[in-house]
Amino acid sequence: MRISQPTTIICFLLLLSILPGVAQAYTTPESIVASGNVYISRVIYDPGAFFTGDTGTVTVYVTNGNSNQSIVVNHATIGDKNIRLISSPYDTSANIGPLQTQTFIFSVATDAFEGAYYPTFSLSFRDADSLYYRAMVKVDNTPLELTIIDKPDAFTQGKKKTINMQVANPRKNNVTNVVLEVTGEGISTTPARTFIGDLGPGAKLPVNFTITPEKATTVLLTLSYDNGDNLHKTTMELPVTFSVDKKQAEPVISNVQVTTAAGVYHVTGDVNNAGLETANTVMVTALAPAVPQDPYKTYVVGALKPDDFGQFEVTFTAGPGNTSIPIELSYKDTDGNIYRSIQDVKISSSGISNSPAEGSSSNMVPVAAAIVIVLIFVGGWVYYLRRNKQ
Amino acid sequence: MVKKMNLSLIDVLIRPDAFFGNLKNERESLKIPALIILAGGIAAAIYGYLMGGLSAKMMADVMPGMDTIIIVSATAGALIMTFLFWLIVAGILYLISFLFKGQGSFNRVLEIVGYGYLPQVAGSLITIVVAIIYIPNISVPTLTKAALEDPAMITQVTKAFMHDPAMMMLSQITTLVSIVFMLWSAHIWIFGIKHARGLSPRDAAICVGVPIVIYVLYLTYNLGVM
Repeated sequence: MRISQPTTIICFLLLLSILPGVAQAYTTPESIVASGNVYISRVIYDPGAFFTGDTGTVTVYVTNGNSNQSIVVNHATIGDKNIRLISSPYDTSANIGPLQTQTFIFSVATDAFEGAYYPTFSLSFRDADSLYYRAMVKVDNTPLELTIIDKPDAFTQGKKKTINMQVANPRKNNVTNVVLEVTGEGISTTPARTFIGDLGPGAKLPVNFTITPEKATTVLLTLSYDNGDNLHKTTMELPVTFSVDKKQAEPVISNVQVTTAAGVYHVTGDVNNAGLETANTVMVTALAPAVPQDPYKTYVVGALKPDDFGQFEVTFTAGPGNTSIPIELSYKDTDGNIYRSIQDVKISSSGISNSPAEGSSSNMVPVAAAIVIVLIFVGGWVYYLRRNKQ
Repeated sequence: MVKKMNLSLIDVLIRPDAFFGNLKNERESLKIPALIILAGGIAAAIYGYLMGGLSAKMMADVMPGMDTIIIVSATAGALIMTFLFWLIVAGILYLISFLFKGQGSFNRVLEIVGYGYLPQVAGSLITIVVAIIYIPNISVPTLTKAALEDPAMITQVTKAFMHDPAMMMLSQITTLVSIVFMLWSAHIWIFGIKHARGLSPRDAAICVGVPIVIYVLYLTYNLGVM
């Protein structure tokens, strides 16, 4: 079939007249004006500031500012090369009523370095052009701060010490589920885990815990927290080395006097606290080979403040051959930890030369006496018999 | 005071030769010797009761009622042992006197041994007084059931008990007192056996002196190794 040239021209003109006619069926000057009244009322990032590698959400609030006209949107997305969209864009039509707000929530991720980024939010109108909005977000790798406020000058084996810490949030956003965990080999801590909860930007919180070390070790402090849904950790190492506590109580025995009565030794003396802390429940007793006896098997001196002193008296018996006896001095610190020190006290050089506890040499006196008695008896009878014989 | 002829019982202590010289003319009678032995046995029983109390204290935790058993055993044992000692000494002296061709009955020997025990009654009374003084100062370690299964522990505890200063002092004093009064008894027995078995003074001295000196030397040895 042959189509004439005039017919072709007429058809082309008709087609041209039809195409603009379709467009003009929706995009009207009114709809363009109406789309101009649509605006981004709010953008919320969660977390408020990202760490490099974090994932999060961004919620875009789109408000229809028209009081009497609805707006139909059919595509919404956000992102750029630094703030990557990891959820699907909105590809379905949605109607935003007059003065209504529609939220668009996207999941995003970033591997960008620290800095401010401006991913673009784009929204397509059915009856007009698109809306573009740059929503600023920051990538900030500043971690939470863990600071030792106060710690003991020295650690002592088995002695409980308190560590005062401070947890601070130097970030610009809130972090949640903040937990401080204290771990280490050969230590017992109380509490081992401290739940702090939320920590707002610029906030700081004191955290105290106690450590009772059984050996020299390194305590690991781990501060974990959630930035959005992303777990982060800050760690700190606290070396625990044993040394002499310069302030600890130091009871010292002096002015020791030893007497004996009926085989029972009485040791009296003074206990001075030469330390800088109070020695509680100071007790004095004699150790083996001594056998503590009443009335003073153990003498409780009581609490001794620094530079204070008290007197003690212990009574005991000691087997033969013992020239010195260990005297044990014990006390407790404020946490109830028991400290012991032993001091030998000479008992043979204290004027008890005729003590029955002197040793086996003391047996020689009665043996000699017995032999003399026997000799007198035998000698007397020999003499008697000889005299009578004569 | 009991009279034997014209001599009193005191003469046993101060004039044994004269006492037994008169006694051999009398009829054998064990009544007074048995009373002397009984007195000595009661004194020994009191001492046994005191010392048994210490052992009972040491064993009190081992078994309920153990302390009572120990005290009763120590008391009764001391009383019985005194009478046994009487018989044993009389038997030894009777047998040894056979070597010297001694003549006379065993009852006579029992009689003179019983009289000769009189000094030891006094000695026992002295040891009771000494024990009353020293026992409160003796430290008595206690044995537990668990310790009873460990021989080393028993040895250690017993050693600690025996080496207690007050205990050692008590042992030394009582041993010396025993030796003195045992020799005094021996002195009396020599004269007694002389008359009871018709021995010469020398034979009587050997007959009594040898076993008694051996026994006393044994006590002295124990004193030395205490």
